[in-house]
Amino acid sequence: MEEKKLRQYDFITSIFLLCFGVWELAQAFKMPMKDSYGGVQSVWYVSPALLPLFVGGGILLLGTILLINSIKTGGAADLINALKKGWNFKVSTPVSRILTVVLGLFTLIYLFIPRIDFYLSLALFLFYVCAAFYPDNENFRVKITIRYLAGSLVFLLLFISGLGRVLQDLLKYNLDILTLAFIIYLNVSARHVGRMMAIDHRKFRTVTIISLVVPLILCPLFRYFLLVPLPYEGGIIKLMNLAYYALR
Amino acid sequence: MGFLEPLQIFFMNIAGILCNPVTLLILFGSVVMGIIFGATPGLTATLGVALLTTLTYGMNASTAMVALMGIYVGGVYGGSYTSILVNIPGTAASAATALDGYPLACKGQAGRALGLTTTASAIGTFIGMIFVVLLSPVISALALEFTSFEFFLLALFGIVISGTLTSQDLVYKGWIAGFIGLFLATIGRDSLQFFPRYTFGMTELDGGLDLVPVLIGAFGIPQIIQTIRDNFKIEETKKFKRILPDFKTIGHNVPTIIRSSLIGVGIGAVPGIGEDIAGWVSYGTAKKTSKHPEEFGKGSVEAVISTETANNSCIGGAMIPLLNLGIPGSPPAAMLLGALMLHGIQPGPMLNFDNPTFILEITAILLLASVAMWVCGILLAKQFVKVLRVPTSLFMPIIAVLCIIGSYALGTRVFNLYLMLPIGIIAYFLTEMKYPIAPLIIGVILGDMCDQNLRRALMVSQGSFTPIFTRPVSLVLFLVIVVMVLSQIPFIRNFQVKMKNRTLKLLRR
Repeated sequence: MEEKKLRQYDFITSIFLLCFGVWELAQAFKMPMKDSYGGVQSVWYVSPALLPLFVGGGILLLGTILLINSIKTGGAADLINALKKGWNFKVSTPVSRILTVVLGLFTLIYLFIPRIDFYLSLALFLFYVCAAFYPDNENFRVKITIRYLAGSLVFLLLFISGLGRVLQDLLKYNLDILTLAFIIYLNVSARHVGRMMAIDHRKFRTVTIISLVVPLILCPLFRYFLLVPLPYEGGIIKLMNLAYYALR
Repeated sequence: MGFLEPLQIFFMNIAGILCNPVTLLILFGSVVMGIIFGATPGLTATLGVALLTTLTYGMNASTAMVALMGIYVGGVYGGSYTSILVNIPGTAASAATALDGYPLACKGQAGRALGLTTTASAIGTFIGMIFVVLLSPVISALALEFTSFEFFLLALFGIVISGTLTSQDLVYKGWIAGFIGLFLATIGRDSLQFFPRYTFGMTELDGGLDLVPVLIGAFGIPQIIQTIRDNFKIEETKKFKRILPDFKTIGHNVPTIIRSSLIGVGIGAVPGIGEDIAGWVSYGTAKKTSKHPEEFGKGSVEAVISTETANNSCIGGAMIPLLNLGIPGSPPAAMLLGALMLHGIQPGPMLNFDNPTFILEITAILLLASVAMWVCGILLAKQFVKVLRVPTSLFMPIIAVLCIIGSYALGTRVFNLYLMLPIGIIAYFLTEMKYPIAPLIIGVILGDMCDQNLRRALMVSQGSFTPIFTRPVSLVLFLVIVVMVLSQIPFIRNFQVKMKNRTLKLLRR
C-alpha cells in the first residue's frame, strides 16, 4: 500500500482504536476493584481489571499517537478531501476476488457447516472456490459467484423461516439432498457457462474431482483415524459410517 | 545428571527414532511436507506447523514433536526453492536468498545454488541444535530465580521487542498489534477470581479463546486471501540437472557459516522475531564483512550460504526461550507452543523437572530433521519443483479447508470456526495496513502470563512496585523496555542523534 493511502487508513484506524480503547476501559471499570466478588474481597492490585486497564490505556495512548501522526503527515486532510470530492465506489478486480473467497468461507462456516453434512459442505465450498478461480476468467467468476450467492440465499431463507426444520422432519436427509442438488446445479451451470466462454472443459473435470476427493480423504481421516466427531454428520457421513463398520 | 548421562539419553533418543520405521516415516514425511509448504508461495512453515498440529492429536508427545519439528525445519528450508528458481521467496525467511540465489540460477548454476542452500540449511539447523543443548540448562537455571515481577516484565519485553523489530511501518503499529493480542488474551474468566471479562454473557467465551484457531486464523486466512487476490502464478522455473552438495565451497565459507549461525541463534532467541529477520541481518553482515561485497546481488555464493545458515539456525534459537521460558522465539515456535500444551507439556523453567529428558529429545529430533532435510533436499529437488506447478487456485481452497478442519478438530467446537474467520479477516486488514501479526500472536500467548504474574507479584508486595527496582533482573528488563519505548519518540531520537554527533566531534578533536 502506498504511503499516502497508508496514512489515510491510519486516520481511520486511530479513530477505531480510540473508540475501542474507551470501550475497553469502560468495561474494565465495571470489573470488581475493591468490592467483594464470589466471596473474595478484592483489592486494586489483584483486581481482574488490572490488565484490561493497562491494555485499554495503552491502546488509547497509541491510538492518539497514530491519530496525531496521521494528522501531521496529511493523512487526515487527504481523507477528508477525498470524502468531500465524493465517494467513488468501484469494486476493483482484486477486491472482487477477495469478496468471492470470503463469501465462500463465510457461507461454509456460518451457514453450511453447522446444519449440513460435513462432506457435502466441504465439497460445495471446494467446488465453488476452485471453479471460480481455476478457469482464470473474471467474467466466469462473477457468473458462478452470482449463482452460488443465489443458492446460499435460498438456504439462508430455509433456515431462517424454519422451513429447513420442517423439511428435515419429513425426511431426515432432505437438506443434504438439497445441498447435493445445489452442487450438481453449480457443476452443470459452470460447465454450461464455461462452454459459452470457451473455457477448457477439462478444468471443470479437475475441479469436480478435487471437490469430491479431498473431503473423501479428510472426513474419514478425522472421523475414523483421529476419532474427531465431525460438526454435522448427515447422510454421507452416516453412509461412510455404515461402510466403515461393515468393513471393520 | 552427570556429563555422560545426557549424551546417553541423546543417543538413545536418536536410536529410538531410527529403529522405529513408523517414526522415521513420519520424520521424512513431515520434512517433505515442510519443504512443499516452504517452497509454495503463500504457504509458510507456521501454517504448516499449525495444520499438522491437528493431525498429531492422536499421537504421543514424542512422535508429535518428530512430525512438528520435521515440518518446521523443512518449511524454513523449502522457501529457498522458489527464491532460487523463480526469484519469488516461498517464505519471508528466504527473501534474502532470492537476491543472490536467482542470479546464480540465471548463470546456469541453479543446481549448485540449491545444493549450497541445502547443505548450509542443514549445518545451520545442526548449530542451532548445539546451542539448544548448551544454553538451555543455563537459561533454565536462571529462570528458576525469577519471581512474578520478572516473568511479567519478560512477557512485556517479548511483546515490546517483537513489536519493535517486526514492524515495517511505524514502530508503534507493532505495539498496537501486541496490545490487541493482550486484549484477546484477557477474554474469558480470569484465572485468579474467575471473573468473566469481555465474554458478553457467552458461555463459549468463558474459557477464553483457544490458541490454535486464533493462530490458524491470524496466519492462515490472510495468506489464503492474499494469494487468491493476487492471482499468483508460477509461469516458469529455472532448469537444473542435479543438485550438488559442493562441500569444497562450504569448506571455504566456514567463517561465514559460523557467523551466520550465531546471528540466527541470537535473533531466534529474541521473542517473536522470526527467520526472515535472521536472514536479512545475516545477509547485511556477510556483505559488510565480505572480501568481495561487490558480488552481492549478482550471484554471490557467500550471500546464499549466509542467509540460509542463519534462517535455519534460527530454529534452534527460537526453541531456547520456548522450552526454557515458555516464550516463543518465532511465529512457528508460537504454533509449537500450542502443540506442546495440547500434548500436556508445559514449557518453562519447570520443564526440566517435569520432563527432564524432553529438551534432549527435541535436540535429537532437530539433528535427525536436519539430516532428513539434507537427504530429501539432495534427492527429491526435482519432485519438489513439480509441486510448484500446481495452480494456487486449486491448492489454496484445500488449504482453507485444512484451516477450517484444523481449527475445529482440536476443541471439536464449531464456535472456534466462528472466531477463526473474523480473526483472520481482521489479521488480513492489519497486515494490509502494515501491522505485524507476530506481536499480536505473542500478545495472545503471553497475555495470561502477563496477567497472572503482575497480579501475583503485586499481591506478594502488597501493591508496591519497588521490587522492580530492587531486583537486578527486573531492573534490567524494566530499563530495556523503557529505553526501547523512549528511543522511538522523535524528540528523544533526535536528541540521541545530536549527542552521538557531538561525541564523535569531540573524539575527532
